[in-house]
Amino acid sequence: MKENDVIVIGGGLAGIFAAITAARRGRQVLLVTKGVGAIAIGGGTIDMLGYDASGVPVRCPWEAMTHLESAHPYTLLGRETVAQASQAFLSLCAEAGYPYMGTLQENQWIPTALGRVKPSCLVPLTMNAAHLKAADEVAVVAVDGLKDYSGKIIADGLAQCPGYRKKYSIVTLKTGIEDGRDLTALDVARWLDTEKGQAACFDQLSRSVRPGGVILVPPVLGTRPDYELFHKIEQATQCHVLETVGLPPAVTGYRLRKLLVKSMTQLKVRMIEQSNVLRATITNGRCCEIVTGNLDRERSYRAQSFILATGGLFGGGLQAAPGQVRENIFNLPVQVPAETDQWSQEHLFFTSGQPFGKFGVKVDDKMRPVDDAGNVLLENVFVAGKTLAGYDYCSEKSGNGVALATAYRAGLEA
Amino acid sequence: MEKTTVVIVGGGATGVGILRDLSMRGVAAILLEQRDLAYGASSRFHGLLHSGGRYAVKDPESARECAEENTILRRIGRHCVEETEGYFVRLPEDDPAYEPKWVEGCQKAGIPIVKLELAEAHRLEPHLTKRAEAVYRVPDAAVDGFRLCRQNVLSAKKYGGRVLTYTEVTGIEQKNNQVEGVRIRNTITGELDLIHCSVVINAAGSWVGKVAELAGISINVIPDKGTLIAFNHRFTDRIVNRLRPPANGDIFVPHGSVTLLGTTSSPALKPDDFTPATQEVLELIGAGKALFEELPQFRLLRAYTGTRPLYCADPTADGREISRNFVTLDHSGEGLRGFVSIVGGKLTTYRLMAEKISDLVCRQLAVDASCRTAEEALVEDVSPELMKSAKQFFPSFGIDLAASRLGPDFAAAVERVQTNPQKRELVCECELVTLAEVETVAADASTFSMSDIRRRTRMGMGTCQGTYCGLRGVGMMVDNDLAKGTAPAELLREFLESRWNGIRPIIWGHQMREVELTRGIYEAGLNIDGAVPDERE
Repeated sequence: MKENDVIVIGGGLAGIFAAITAARRGRQVLLVTKGVGAIAIGGGTIDMLGYDASGVPVRCPWEAMTHLESAHPYTLLGRETVAQASQAFLSLCAEAGYPYMGTLQENQWIPTALGRVKPSCLVPLTMNAAHLKAADEVAVVAVDGLKDYSGKIIADGLAQCPGYRKKYSIVTLKTGIEDGRDLTALDVARWLDTEKGQAACFDQLSRSVRPGGVILVPPVLGTRPDYELFHKIEQATQCHVLETVGLPPAVTGYRLRKLLVKSMTQLKVRMIEQSNVLRATITNGRCCEIVTGNLDRERSYRAQSFILATGGLFGGGLQAAPGQVRENIFNLPVQVPAETDQWSQEHLFFTSGQPFGKFGVKVDDKMRPVDDAGNVLLENVFVAGKTLAGYDYCSEKSGNGVALATAYRAGLEA
Repeated sequence: MEKTTVVIVGGGATGVGILRDLSMRGVAAILLEQRDLAYGASSRFHGLLHSGGRYAVKDPESARECAEENTILRRIGRHCVEETEGYFVRLPEDDPAYEPKWVEGCQKAGIPIVKLELAEAHRLEPHLTKRAEAVYRVPDAAVDGFRLCRQNVLSAKKYGGRVLTYTEVTGIEQKNNQVEGVRIRNTITGELDLIHCSVVINAAGSWVGKVAELAGISINVIPDKGTLIAFNHRFTDRIVNRLRPPANGDIFVPHGSVTLLGTTSSPALKPDDFTPATQEVLELIGAGKALFEELPQFRLLRAYTGTRPLYCADPTADGREISRNFVTLDHSGEGLRGFVSIVGGKLTTYRLMAEKISDLVCRQLAVDASCRTAEEALVEDVSPELMKSAKQFFPSFGIDLAASRLGPDFAAAVERVQTNPQKRELVCECELVTLAEVETVAADASTFSMSDIRRRTRMGMGTCQGTYCGLRGVGMMVDNDLAKGTAPAELLREFLESRWNGIRPIIWGHQMREVELTRGIYEAGLNIDGAVPDERE
């Protein structure tokens, strides 16, 4: 059996970025993943910190990070690590030919399919919010048959946001994609990958939108992580074009995943997909192997260190039962109130977040799991992403940011 | 200012049943409902149309009433009732001596029961516990409370009956000990008004005491809280009851693609004490797994709570006709003529209750007309011609469901699809609700919110609990100019929050994942409610 330096469990943003970080240090890395992670649900934007604990919008994440609770992963890491992780991510994307824009000094308010703007930090160039802010007239493009995307929701919603009371018009694009099933953003993006689709799209847009304006489109500007189509469409329309954040499947997230997986492969990280990790073997406070159980038989994989990035309650890294939550592979402690009634707030959407949103594994500053008293439980296991305790990414808008920063640290330590 | 003969307070099954009954007898009537139809116990129950078996031993009169009304409702309410039939199952821990008493009670009440071979019982319901010692088949059925109320109203409207929803009663006007009218308030616009009438029927269910208070009359009604849970599977095709004296958590009812389990019982703090607790959910699962052992592994969808109006009679009061099941109260003995109340009862016997109180009111009004509600169907079947033409345009899998849900409005939905075939798209994939159907309901003058649409179409009531159809629903509201100035994100937030009350007590297992998906999409991804920096800062 071939021994690896590092085994990463989990193929979401945290897992892949941890694998890349470790591989760049010259470590030999194996990534084992059950699914494809949630990158394509979040839309591929790197939200760092959008709101403070009382729901007040954050202008400068770099500054706001100093006010977070002591249990927050950013506090454990220190904001310098967050900055290094951001830099590493930006360089990676730039090297791969799909640069992201943004800095920790300032949030960018990007438009969403609900007719809202949301604070994000690092975004693809197709989401340059400054253009929207500066525009007087905005053309909102909807796609005929794309039922999870309403131009009128966006136009009506934005018109009611302070600072976005502009003149909105709606343009409906006809794709002519053969009917038969419901259209998704991914279908439209694939159509726009083709020359025929591009020609039809540019033709319709340039006939209905005046040059010099701003066009909001669904996240459909091609499936490839490059800006070829983006530049073409801006040229054809002579407008600034912005992709909004939409419902899954999110093509912008799909592009980011493609880019990351490609970078990872170039760094010689091996990936085993559709693999279910059942348990880990622990001796003397160290993990020596993990065991997978798939359709055929159980297999063991050994390594010097392990990175746990299996996600939280959504991703499957944590599982909830009445009165208890468990971490599935290492059986790490997850503290929760015994009364399930105390897990949540009266409202589903709550400015200070949900108690259950913060459930997870506690770690030290190196991302190693600790017990209540702060003692390290496993010397060579490092935890990254939503498996961690201490942050509700939904309310504070920090999901991919915490994933990147904790994965970066885990990748450096492992 | 309006004028009518009778004002009915309460838009539950009893109230709408009375409206229909009086309207068919030619008595002018207006029904007032503080929220939407069926807001109270008429939708917050297990949706079981009793065969009467549950009451066969302890309450033979109720059992007989249920048996008769069950037969009538299958006939007149065909589109609200699913004829599932039911089981009564005796387990080893249940008293065997109860069985012969129950069989005898059923026979006396006229409930047709059939004892099944256990092998046959398990062949029909494979998930049922193999520990069963005796299984009987009874004519239980599943009934949709929302639709039943709606279709009673549709029927009443044909005879001139009128309904004001989102209208609360703020006062009962009286002169010389006689009711003269009702003061009302539109809960959406805040507008006040007065309706002149000579009779007020208080059919407010758990709120019956509050309405009586407005007339200075005291009715001793104690609301009792009952919680139920919905599973995301139709793991039984039949209603399943325990063959033992009625207790908590021993009724399973399949509805569409889900199965309901009820019910708990505890004192309610107020008539709309509608917040289910995890403890109640665990109690139900604990009791229910005796009949279905795999129950703890099944995915929960939500929990919900209603209140039963329990009536405590004052034995010294007079002027009442007492049934074991429900009570009609004529308050003229307490010094107010033209004010009557109806309390207690169950949904299965709503029509009979309406008949009894309508008889009473007609006697007071000297109207000589008899009840015809058992003779005529609530809504006519959609004509074969319309079904045929609908089949050319509607998605075939949703057509019967849509016809049943919409009744007389189905023609309008078909027309929408004919005009624009794209309207056949599904808004709600879980419950197979098309855009045409949602738009038809949305265009109705009595639709005010996404939740109103949900109750009429079942949009958002299935597996995803609104996660996917929510945004589409909002798009449809906005496209049809129904948003009335409310921001789209706010419409969606309200819709998803309205489902949260029932999901909150069951957030574990798969339902926790679903909640995190919903939050991930709408809160983290689309920023449904986060503040936007104010420009003036």
